Amino acid sequence: MSALLAVLFLLTAASGTAVVLVRDPGRQIFAIAANGLVLTLLFTALQAPDVALSELAVGVAAVPLLFLVALMAVRAGRPEAGSGGDEA
Amino acid sequence: MSPRARLALLAAAGLALLPGAAATLGGLPAFGSRIAEYGARINALVPGERHVANMVSAINFDLRGLDTLGEEFMLLAAITGTVVLLRGRRGEGMTDRAMRRPGRAVRPQTEAVVLACRVAGVLTALFGLYVVLHATVTPGGGFQGGVILASATLLVYLGEGYVGWRDAVRSHWLDAMEGGGALLFALCGLVPMLVGAAFLQNVLPLGTFRDLFSGGLMLVENLGVALAVTGGFTQLFLEFMEETRAADGPEEPGEDSA
Repeated sequence: MSALLAVLFLLTAASGTAVVLVRDPGRQIFAIAANGLVLTLLFTALQAPDVALSELAVGVAAVPLLFLVALMAVRAGRPEAGSGGDEA
Repeated sequence: MSPRARLALLAAAGLALLPGAAATLGGLPAFGSRIAEYGARINALVPGERHVANMVSAINFDLRGLDTLGEEFMLLAAITGTVVLLRGRRGEGMTDRAMRRPGRAVRPQTEAVVLACRVAGVLTALFGLYVVLHATVTPGGGFQGGVILASATLLVYLGEGYVGWRDAVRSHWLDAMEGGGALLFALCGLVPMLVGAAFLQNVLPLGTFRDLFSGGLMLVENLGVALAVTGGFTQLFLEFMEETRAADGPEEPGEDSA
């Protein structure tokens, strides 16, 4: 296992943990996008370019966007503009 | 169930599953070792049999084309379900402004953002088309290219705002692309049967190895997948974006057009 793969595995573990530990949903969405980006690099390093392209398009663009919009709809739908960091 | 009982149940379940998990983990091939049989055979057979350089596309669209047909209809069903669920509550009415959070200022896009989005949107769409068209030559294909094309439309939202996005992205076209793509794939299965071949059999001329036009029927199936995925994902984005649309009623004071 090369040093590049070791670094990428560590980054995957770190970014995946970050998704769980970040408690503010707004920031969590960007954490999950960062995790997707790291996974894209990992799949590329493991010579799976097809999977990497899918992960890049779905995990970094599509899924975070849907989460962002859903979060925005939840927050805007509420009558009062609360801080909104607890439910999740 | 008390937390203590739940923990005990978890521990018991873990203990029961432990031997199986250990046996499975022990039986895995070592990291980095290649599972050679299938891959080696595909690599040896496909360039000669199908004239295709991207083995993943060859498996997806030809050798295991039936699986991809199933996935195609799974996607169609999932998108349809989402649309029914979201649109059912909201209806199909249109207002031309987005909802906004009370107390949060909405600034218009700066010229730099608009310019960057117009340039990057076109480039992203071009790259998506490239990935779709080169499915049988380079990594990628209808699914990946389709999602890239769909995300290119999001740059319209970012650059032109909600009203521009609503003008540019029409739901009916997306419906037609999504359903038409799935229909095209199904026809790729059925039409060969008219000429006496098997379902999804590759009856078209296979073309030249490493050429853009290689793979025969795979190109048509790839086009179907690209249409369905582009339409489906854009439809998904549209339906989710519509969740942020302002309600028609006058009950939200102090709003003007976005």
